[in-house]
Amino acid sequence: MPVVTTLSEADAPTPLRMWYDRWIGILVGTAGGLLQGMMLHSSLLRTALLGAAFGLVFGLVFSKRASSAGAGLIWGLGSALLFWFLILAASMLRLGTHDSNVMLEDARGRFSALAAYLVCFGAPVGVVLGIRGGILPDRSRPPFNRSRAIVAGGLAGVVSGLIFGHWMWQGAFFPLIAGLGDIQSQAAKVLLQFCVAFTIGATFGLLFQRDVRGYGSCMGWGLGYTVFWWFAGPLTLFPFSQRRPLNWSMDAASQLFGALVGYILYGLILGVVYATFDRAWVRLFIESDPLNREAEGPGFRLFRSLQWGALAGLAGGLVSSPFMFAAHVLSSVAGVSTQLSTLSGLLVHLLVSTFIGMSYGVLFRDEASNLAMAGAWGWVFGLIWWYVGPLTLLPLLLTGEIDWRISAASALLPSLLGHLIYGACTASLFYVLEQAYTNKHRLDPRMTARELRRLRPVGTPAPALWFFAMGMGVVIPLLLA
Amino acid sequence: MALVAGAIYAACAPPVRGAYADSIMAAASLGIPIWGITSVILLPLLSGNQMAWDAVGMQGHFAPLVGWILFGALLGGILQIASEIAEIRFGPETAPVLSLSVNLPRVVILGGGFGGMKAAEYLEEQLGGSVSISLVSDTNALLFTPMLAEVAGSSLEPSHISVPLRSSLRRTRFVRGRVTGVDFERRVVVLDEAGTESRELGYDHVIFALGAVSNYLGLKNVEKLAFDFKTLLDAIRIRNHVIEMFEKADRETDPEVRRQLLTFVIAGGGFAGVELAGALNDFAHGIFPDYRNLSIDELCVTLVHSRDRILPELSETLAAYALETMKQRGVTFRLGARLVDAEPGLVTLSDGQIAAESLVWTAGTAPNPVIRTLDLPTNARGAITVDSTLAVPEHPAVWALGDCAVVIDSETKKPCPPTAQFALREAATIARNIGAALKGEPASDFHFKSLGALCVIGHQTACAELTVPFASTRSLRFSGLLAWFLWRGIYVSKLPGPERKIRVLMAWTLELFFPRDIIQTIELGGKESHAGSHNAQ
Repeated sequence: MPVVTTLSEADAPTPLRMWYDRWIGILVGTAGGLLQGMMLHSSLLRTALLGAAFGLVFGLVFSKRASSAGAGLIWGLGSALLFWFLILAASMLRLGTHDSNVMLEDARGRFSALAAYLVCFGAPVGVVLGIRGGILPDRSRPPFNRSRAIVAGGLAGVVSGLIFGHWMWQGAFFPLIAGLGDIQSQAAKVLLQFCVAFTIGATFGLLFQRDVRGYGSCMGWGLGYTVFWWFAGPLTLFPFSQRRPLNWSMDAASQLFGALVGYILYGLILGVVYATFDRAWVRLFIESDPLNREAEGPGFRLFRSLQWGALAGLAGGLVSSPFMFAAHVLSSVAGVSTQLSTLSGLLVHLLVSTFIGMSYGVLFRDEASNLAMAGAWGWVFGLIWWYVGPLTLLPLLLTGEIDWRISAASALLPSLLGHLIYGACTASLFYVLEQAYTNKHRLDPRMTARELRRLRPVGTPAPALWFFAMGMGVVIPLLLA
Repeated sequence: MALVAGAIYAACAPPVRGAYADSIMAAASLGIPIWGITSVILLPLLSGNQMAWDAVGMQGHFAPLVGWILFGALLGGILQIASEIAEIRFGPETAPVLSLSVNLPRVVILGGGFGGMKAAEYLEEQLGGSVSISLVSDTNALLFTPMLAEVAGSSLEPSHISVPLRSSLRRTRFVRGRVTGVDFERRVVVLDEAGTESRELGYDHVIFALGAVSNYLGLKNVEKLAFDFKTLLDAIRIRNHVIEMFEKADRETDPEVRRQLLTFVIAGGGFAGVELAGALNDFAHGIFPDYRNLSIDELCVTLVHSRDRILPELSETLAAYALETMKQRGVTFRLGARLVDAEPGLVTLSDGQIAAESLVWTAGTAPNPVIRTLDLPTNARGAITVDSTLAVPEHPAVWALGDCAVVIDSETKKPCPPTAQFALREAATIARNIGAALKGEPASDFHFKSLGALCVIGHQTACAELTVPFASTRSLRFSGLLAWFLWRGIYVSKLPGPERKIRVLMAWTLELFFPRDIIQTIELGGKESHAGSHNAQ
């Protein structure tokens, strides 16, 4: 039985507010279009009109969802990506072809437009309307603690920045400041790297404190936010700060693909560390208070999540194994020749799947409230593991080295589908098990109340995040390969 | 393909009013996996083409990727519009309201032991919200009796081996109270709730799972002076009493009195008696270094058993092993001797006397005495007789299981032993049969073959006799450390809920590094202070 969620009061905007939203969207979109035109040296009228159109559509359809700057940013990025796909499809219609190779070439040629839509349209329109939405009174909005956001986010940003410490101290690799050009001083590089890490972390807390709920959503938001930062930082702000001409071409993006993977990993770890800092207080001092006791303590839920996660992960591993086999992944874990027989590879795959399923249970247990949401989080989880597992962790463990070049990612592209299928199956089965348990105990009013508290209400930017994270996670490797 | 994708999406993500943006974006994001499944996997497979999953091959599917994403966005928007039109046309969809209805068939379970709690759990699982389940118990927790000796031996904390019934049973209404009568005509159970007037609880089906109490075989003095070993409070009392005896002995100057204080007699050589003797022996030796005025020669744990061998439930070789091992660890045995009387400081056996201040009775049990007061068919011991489906003959909708019933296996035609593993299976059968009765279907017979038996006889030593699968006449027997590991592994896994498992595992781990404590948790004014416990059953 689906639990019926209700819309918050913010979902019933007044006609006056909607009218203002449209005009704000048009104005900011037009400004973004003019900026795009100036940066890309293209027709100002054309880009301004495009920006105005985007702003109008956003103001009409998505503005009521922009209830904070963070929510606005994610909705803006998602809608900008959708806008890019629409323009791409319109272009194909105009050309009268549906040939994939022609479309791919066209998409590659429009990569600079993608960056421009994200940086000049989606982000500013979403953030401005989000700030406006945040100012408007809304009793249903969860409370916001600025100090907690900056401290937890900043700390998480710096701690997460340490993941690159090994390479940083060797002076070899500074993914977060890639694209900043030649800086001679090692200390300056390290300092800058941590400054960027702190900025991303602190703004992460400020922007998304209300939207993230647990580890899983923090990772998802971290992924989406750092993909945006890759466009905004190495591709835009860093060259701009050094008065170098902007280069949003495919070639420039290909050269910075390693930095993209670095940003994504940083975002995932930022999400986990932020969630740890943010939730630690809640777990230790709020949820442990007997006054706030629920029918089941956090320990029970954790154990059950591990159990269901293991079961779901094993099932996901079984379902995805034919695809992994077809992609020749089983015999060569993570693209590294491990000389495994197919059977041994399958057993290793199932074992790893079980453990990763347990991590899904722990990280994403409170995110999905229907099967479609579970599937969506599962795809995001599968995508995350493609970047974390075969692209990073397994090569690092097996060979001591990682290769984040686009050529390495292209070689691992076949296993991406397997990972996505694994994630979806794991998440779906986990949801089914979780629901079976919840339904079984729904007559207990305490369990019903907990289920209602747990559900993500309609209106959070989760759908936009799924689309942006999955779209960019899949499309960028395809385009750059 | 698009129709199927749309139908699945609509079924999995029911639209919420006004959520256009959410619907468009969520469906667009699902366009990506749909592309993967259909364009990259299914269509090449169905068309007989070789799948091309390398980078170039997947780039060849770029146009469908864009198509599926835009299809998803469109689907989300159209679905939302269609849903809103349907809502205007047909009215809003109402979620079914779940509530506890008074008209549901009422199943009342009397007793909160293994059988009662499991019956409630099985009924919750099998019959869901279609019945109203109530469980009546005079304690609010299930006692995990296999570990009771560990509490008496101060190895585990009392709360580690009890599980609160209110927290564990989610759909069952728990009623704390004592059963004083049942009116089978009116179908009501009469309860004497603690500190309140009697009240009645109506039922459509009633399950008797009242368990057993100690049976002193008419030995009045023994009943007055001996400790019971059935409840958590009994185990706590025994532990505290042992410490009290050590405290008294430590300040006693007369060696004979000290010996009397440090002699602990356990009557009964079954599982409970042997496990308790082993646990008390370990506990007493473990706390001995804290009492500097005492000599180890003065300590004596004696097990009295009327037969010539202990552990009649196990094979002779294992019983002999247990006897020898326990003797080596300091336990003394009086086999072939019956307990005939007791007075303060003296335990009288059929073949002599033992000067002892401490006596624990584990030599006999009887079904809960309230059963004799009811109009139910019983055997000579007072246990309810049931048919092969565990229903009480000529008493419609009355069922019985566990220690308070005489259950005959439907295949072997032999009586089932009153152990937890049988009670659990009997509970499953009764739950199934109540479900069948409610649906008008035939009831099923009870049959279960014992899985075996395990008994701890001392520190890291146990006996195990396991039934060999598919070989009913053969059993696997072993002893020592492996059996002890098996005992701990099996019973910790059987403990309900992860919290208790963790607590017990932590306690066992800590026990490896720290001695057992000698803090007295209750004050004992004398042996008389526990005498009331016999009546508390």
